[in-house]
This record gives sequence, structure tokens and C-alpha cells, in this order.
Amino acid sequence: MDYICLKIEFSRVHPWRDVLISDLDQAGFESFVETKSGLDSYIRENNFEKEKIQYINDIEDVTEMSWELIKDQNWNAKWEENFDPVFVEDKLVIKAPFHKENFSQSMEITIQPQMSFGTGHHQTTWLISKRLFELDLLDKRVLDMGTGTGVLAVLAEKLGASNIFAPDIDEWSYKNAIENVELNNCSMIEVALGDDQLIKGKEFDVLIANINKNILIQHFSVYSSCLAKGGKMLISGFFSTDAEDLKMEAAKHGFIFEYTFNKDEWAMMQFTR
Amino acid sequence: MAKQVDGLIKLQIKGGAANPAPPVGPALGAKGVNIMEFCKQFNARTQEKAGKVLPVVITVYGDKSFDFIVKTPPVAVQLLEAAKLKSGSAEPNRIKVAKVTWDQVRAIAEDKIQDMNAFKVESAMKMVAGTARSMGITVQGAFPEPK
Repeated sequence: MDYICLKIEFSRVHPWRDVLISDLDQAGFESFVETKSGLDSYIRENNFEKEKIQYINDIEDVTEMSWELIKDQNWNAKWEENFDPVFVEDKLVIKAPFHKENFSQSMEITIQPQMSFGTGHHQTTWLISKRLFELDLLDKRVLDMGTGTGVLAVLAEKLGASNIFAPDIDEWSYKNAIENVELNNCSMIEVALGDDQLIKGKEFDVLIANINKNILIQHFSVYSSCLAKGGKMLISGFFSTDAEDLKMEAAKHGFIFEYTFNKDEWAMMQFTR
Repeated sequence: MAKQVDGLIKLQIKGGAANPAPPVGPALGAKGVNIMEFCKQFNARTQEKAGKVLPVVITVYGDKSFDFIVKTPPVAVQLLEAAKLKSGSAEPNRIKVAKVTWDQVRAIAEDKIQDMNAFKVESAMKMVAGTARSMGITVQGAFPEPK
């Protein structure tokens, strides 16, 4: 997605920088950088309305205002060029196409990330990967909500799942997951672009969601309606300190808590229904 | 031995909403930091303040690792909340759109005093009141005597 960077210079920074952060926040700007004598503000190009910011030119202490288009690109490319493979005990290695060495792990997944989450480096991906080996996925219908690179969907297929649905709301992730599904010669995964609306009316035996606390709580109702009786729900993307809140919220939607697994400050929880 | 610091990055991002787009992407990406890792951590840590603009100071180390400190929202954002307003007046000098009390100003000043380079809470309060005036928010009553 292309962005606009709005650049404002002041003759007097206080209080205008602060005031304009608050104003531009209300006008749809997403983030800000304080410069030496001004402010750079960022908004999605399709949300940018020139008329809404014209009044800034009339503020006496504003000496200059201009904007530039920042074309969408893979900002994470530098990190993605060279990262270490990830080992999930002796069971799995998640590697990049540039890792040519032989690994002793019995299963390999190749991930070429493109500004998407899910290379196994994060504790939450690692926790879910490890847990998936301990579940019976043979011929199961699996949902990988917020699939990112698609790594967990690929793992589900390698562990025998017969039908995997892998949506993500982010366009980079959607395209990247398709790429990684092909890279791993998977044929049981349907990648989709969209949110929880996409799963309404579907039924799954195993539901995976590595997102964040607020989104998980928002989604519990629809997850509850599409997880088969006796199915398993694995959630992560939150700190151990948030686990109790999630447990309480999940219970309201009929989920029965089974386990919590922790790695560093992060947690993963398993429920059934 | 302490890790070598490669740089400090100061941004203001909405709680729970960091993504790899600018300015987060270019700022961290140029240093070879895994942007996705930062976004996951920032979003998890700011779930309780989702949608609020939060200043964040990110320290990037020589080995491409990072840590960060999340601060409380800017003064103007806190004033809007205190005044229960959605946005400031477009014509701040003529239209007084809302009022706050000196107690509310003091609470914001105490919260932000370190970021404002002020030594005394009274000086910070005067700066907060100045921001309020620029936004069209009136502070009710006279400046209180120092406690």
C-alpha cells in the first residue's frame, strides 16, 4: 500500500507539533516522526484528503508544509536476505531458500518471507509449531487464521491435514502465503484475502490463530460457531500475563480450556469445545 | 558486556496497530531489524491502549536486536481525552470548544514532565496550558498556587 508523508516545519515547535499530532490522528494519519524543527506524518494514500489539512498553512508558526508519495515496497528485505534457520526440537527446521545445508530434522519447511509474519523465529510461531506435532491432524480440516507467511498452514498439511483454509487481511501476507504454499509443494491449502467474515458458515476440526489479544477476543464468537464439537483451538500472539483474560473470554463462548504453554514472556493456549 | 547501540529511533504509533509500512518499515528495515518481530511485540504490549497515539523509543543494537520503551500519549491527545473532545478547534483563538480544570492540567503535566524537559511541575503545567490554548481548550480558573 502506498503512503503519503506530510512534512511540516515550524518556527515554534511547542505547542504545535503536539497539537498537530492530535489533529492529524483524528484526520486518519497513522503514525508520526518528530523531526528537528517539525513533524512528519504518515497516512495511507487512499485516505489522504488535501482539503482536511489546508488549515495547517494558516497557522502562523507553520513555515512550510509539503507531502510526498512513498511507494509500497518490502521494507523488511534487508533482514529477509540473511536469517538463521529455526529448529523446533529435532522434529522440524524452518529455513529460507538460501539455506543449502543438510539438516538432521525429519521435516523441512522452506519459507521466503515477504514482509509477512511467520518464520518460526518468534516464540508464538515456535510454540504452535511444536504443539501441532502433538495433535492428530490426519485428515483434519484446519483453519490458520491470519496465516502470514503460511508457515503453520504448510506444517498442518505436512502433518496430514486434508483441508486447510488460510486467510489473512494483509495483501502482502496473502501473496506471500500463496508463494510459500507453492514453494513447499502443498496442494491442500486454500489461501484467502480477508477477515473473519470469510470463515462464517465453515467448519473446522482444528483452529489456529496467532494474532493478538484484542482480535482474538473479537473473533471468539465466530470461532465458536465454526469449530466442530471436540475440535481443538490453538491461540497465541499474546503475553503470558494476558492468558487469564483470554481464558475468561473464551469460556463465555463455550470453549473449554486445556493447556497453556509458555516461551519467554509469550504464551499459547489450547481449548476444546 | 553491554551490547553496542547502533541507533535510537523515535516514532509515534497507534497502540496495537504497528505495521511494516512507513515510518516503521523504512526506519527499522534500513538497520536490518526484523520489522515483523517489532510489530508483534509492540502490538502485544499496547493492546490496552489500542488506537491511541503512543510515543515509542526503539534502541537498535549492533547485532540487529532491539528493545523499546513505550511512553504515555502526547499532551494534546491527553487534553482531548480530559476535555472529552474528538478533535481540537480549527480556529483555536476565537472559538473555545471545551474546558479543562487545573487539576486535569496538573495530572497531564505530572505524567509528561520527563518528556517535556521541565524540572518543576508548575513549568510543565504552564506548557500543558499553552498547548490547551492552541487547541481552543480553556483552562478554568486562575493558575493554582504551588502546593
